[in-house]
Amino acid sequence: MAEMWISMGPQHPMTHGLWTLKVKVDGETVIDTEPDLGYIHRGVEKICEARDFTQITTYCDRLCYASANTWSHAYIYAAEDLLEVEVPERAEYIRLIAVELQRIASHLMWLGAYCPDVGNLTGMVWCLREREMMMDLLQELGGSRLHYNFPRVGGVKRDLPIGFAQRCRAKLKLFLDRIQEYEAILDESTIFLIRTQGVGYAKAAEMVNHGVSGPNIRAAGVNYDVRWAHPYSVYDEIDWEPAIERPSIKGSDCYDRYRVRVEEMVMSARMVSDALDKIPGGAETHYTSGDEAIIAKAPQRAAEGQTGFHHFEDSRGESCFYLVGGGEGRGKYPYRVSIRSPMFITLPYAAKCMIGYKVADIPAIMGSFDPCIGETDR
Amino acid sequence: MTEDILDMRGWVSALSQWISKNTIGQSRHWEYTDGVAFFITELVMCVMIFGGIMTTLFVLLWMERKLLGRFMDRRGAVTSLRSLWVGENGVTAGEWWNQLPFGTGVPVGFVVRMLNNIAGNDHELETISRVNNRSYHGVWWMLPGFFQNLADGMKFLTKEHMVPEKADRLIYEVAPFIIITTTVMLFAFIPLGPNFWANNSEMSILFLMAIFGVAPLGVFFAGWSSNNKYTLLGGIRSAAQLTAYEIPLLITVLSVVVISGSFNMVEVIEFQADSGAWNLFLLPLGAILFIVTMVAEVERIPFDMPEAEAELVEGWWTEYGGMRWGLMFSAEYLRVYAACLLFAHFFLGGWEAPFEDTIPFISAIPHITWVFLKAWTVFILFVWFRAALHRVRTDQILEFGWRWLLPLSLINLAFAVVLRLWVYDGINGEWHILVPVLITSIALALITILAIDEDPKALAERRRPFSVQTTEVASPGQHNE
Repeated sequence: MAEMWISMGPQHPMTHGLWTLKVKVDGETVIDTEPDLGYIHRGVEKICEARDFTQITTYCDRLCYASANTWSHAYIYAAEDLLEVEVPERAEYIRLIAVELQRIASHLMWLGAYCPDVGNLTGMVWCLREREMMMDLLQELGGSRLHYNFPRVGGVKRDLPIGFAQRCRAKLKLFLDRIQEYEAILDESTIFLIRTQGVGYAKAAEMVNHGVSGPNIRAAGVNYDVRWAHPYSVYDEIDWEPAIERPSIKGSDCYDRYRVRVEEMVMSARMVSDALDKIPGGAETHYTSGDEAIIAKAPQRAAEGQTGFHHFEDSRGESCFYLVGGGEGRGKYPYRVSIRSPMFITLPYAAKCMIGYKVADIPAIMGSFDPCIGETDR
Repeated sequence: MTEDILDMRGWVSALSQWISKNTIGQSRHWEYTDGVAFFITELVMCVMIFGGIMTTLFVLLWMERKLLGRFMDRRGAVTSLRSLWVGENGVTAGEWWNQLPFGTGVPVGFVVRMLNNIAGNDHELETISRVNNRSYHGVWWMLPGFFQNLADGMKFLTKEHMVPEKADRLIYEVAPFIIITTTVMLFAFIPLGPNFWANNSEMSILFLMAIFGVAPLGVFFAGWSSNNKYTLLGGIRSAAQLTAYEIPLLITVLSVVVISGSFNMVEVIEFQADSGAWNLFLLPLGAILFIVTMVAEVERIPFDMPEAEAELVEGWWTEYGGMRWGLMFSAEYLRVYAACLLFAHFFLGGWEAPFEDTIPFISAIPHITWVFLKAWTVFILFVWFRAALHRVRTDQILEFGWRWLLPLSLINLAFAVVLRLWVYDGINGEWHILVPVLITSIALALITILAIDEDPKALAERRRPFSVQTTEVASPGQHNE
């Protein structure tokens, strides 16, 4: 068969979003790829320049629909850096709980999307079933199911609800049980292993050069986790360590990227229960919204020329927020907001990764990098 | 021939002969009386078999929906059958047995509750049970979801027929007919009972397998003519994987033919009834090979690369719509049905009731019941595969077919020849009782050994059979840089 270009997307089961992957195939073998992004560019950075620091949180929630909390928290830390706010420690713990629960939910969404990529629908239904529990917990915190708008500059919207700790612990226990079921249907299935092992090798050095971060790079044995390397919040007081895979000499394959996320979910569950134990004031106390214990007074305006920056371990990698405050008579709004999306940097590398593999491997490789187009296009 | 109270062919034949005698027989073309009677009989039998298959096809579709929902909801039958009884919060899923009439469900409820106490999840969370409990709480005698298929059919009927602009119009229109007609033709050679068949020719198995192999040609036509890159890849995949499973399938069927000594479907079934053992107990390897290759033949997960929806959108189906799509879809399920019926006929004794000679009055049940029950039981396996397995790649099925299925099917054929020539007691026309017992126990022992190999503790070590770890563990750094 002659070589031909196939345009996969913008509506295609492989894409997990709205983008196009142009694939040049020779028969079934991929010989060239070209990602085409920008279908859902909303100009979030520009919109944020006309919003005050509280309003921006909602926009950041919508950067990634699968992982809303991590993005709004990434923004909030940058805003607090800009406005120079000291956050109460209890609020930091609550934020950590919210972010780690969101990370579990996001990874479950990823695993749920990855199973149909390699041809099994059961895994998807099971993962979404557990994600539902995490979303219930996040709903108790933030009030809504997908976009929580939970953090505030200086603290959090509301305290842990009464009985939250008990429910959270029970659900996490159930979730850790259920992880073994995923391993029963994935790790013990030879077909899953031959579809993922030895497929989609990504080399650690190349990924570092491309700026890839997050679970994708930890799957290749690079120990870079922002929470560990530059601990913000209270990550240095929690009992945890980054999930890192041992890849082969050829690099990390799809299976590594699957394992690292499963282990990260286990780790996040451990972090949440540890945070529930260590939270100052106890997990069963409940402060009313606006109490000093959970939210600090924050200034409304930032001085001109002042900058705030934070890099944050998102579910998909290192997300950075850079805020410039002030401007002529508009100190209430940021002068400039810049967002570094990890997936925007990962996608071109992932597209390069699949050259030399079969057409059937495209969803397996692409899905293993956990693309999210909402944050990619911003 | 087995006696059957449902002497459908006899009744139809008598009726058509009576009609023929009283119409043609009275006229000056009286010499055609028998021919016309035969023609009417064949026609009526074909229609009846096709009608029976199409009606019971709804059961198949319904079973797949219900079983998949059950497998996917719970832990499923992948590792255990806990899904049938595990509930949350001490409440077993659905309590469906309470809806059975005359209190017949009380023992079921007792057993399920007991199992739930022993091996259920015990969590005190109402939300979880709310989220996870997808069970049906309405009336059960309406068969919830059964009439969904009719609604689907109505929807397909009302859809517009569209042909892609640059498609090869003639072939695009012809391809569905190749697929559908060959699929329907299959059932002319599959008997549903000792007196319920349309065709009983000497070479019926040969002809059946030949017809079974025509549909991939139609798939290839459909994929090529749609003028779409996805359909093209799907069609070519279908043609490429054809050889990988078709040859082992034919060799496996040949082993059945060898052991039964006939190419005639009815005789194969009668042989199993007369010789005292179903072929499953004589050729367990053949049964496994047959079901694996049949999954590939009917293009279901894990071998559904021609319509791999993850990368090829919908494969060769992509450009079809409306009732053509609906008919091809039903043809797809008819092929699954044919595969299940063939497995029942080749390996499970067809219409013969289990322990037909030993249980009194069991022959009072029409034999068609056993055919359907066996076929539906085999279909449960198909659904189970679909729920539990992932999709393989084209090169992997080629490798699997040539490297494993082909040699195994040859071994199976040799085994069948040995059994037939030297073990079969040709004088009495039956197997010695030890033969099936011995073969079955060896097979069960092998399967058990393979099954208990699943050591959860060793899982971590053998996680990577297909790639190696060579680099060191990256040691986590310190909190402070």
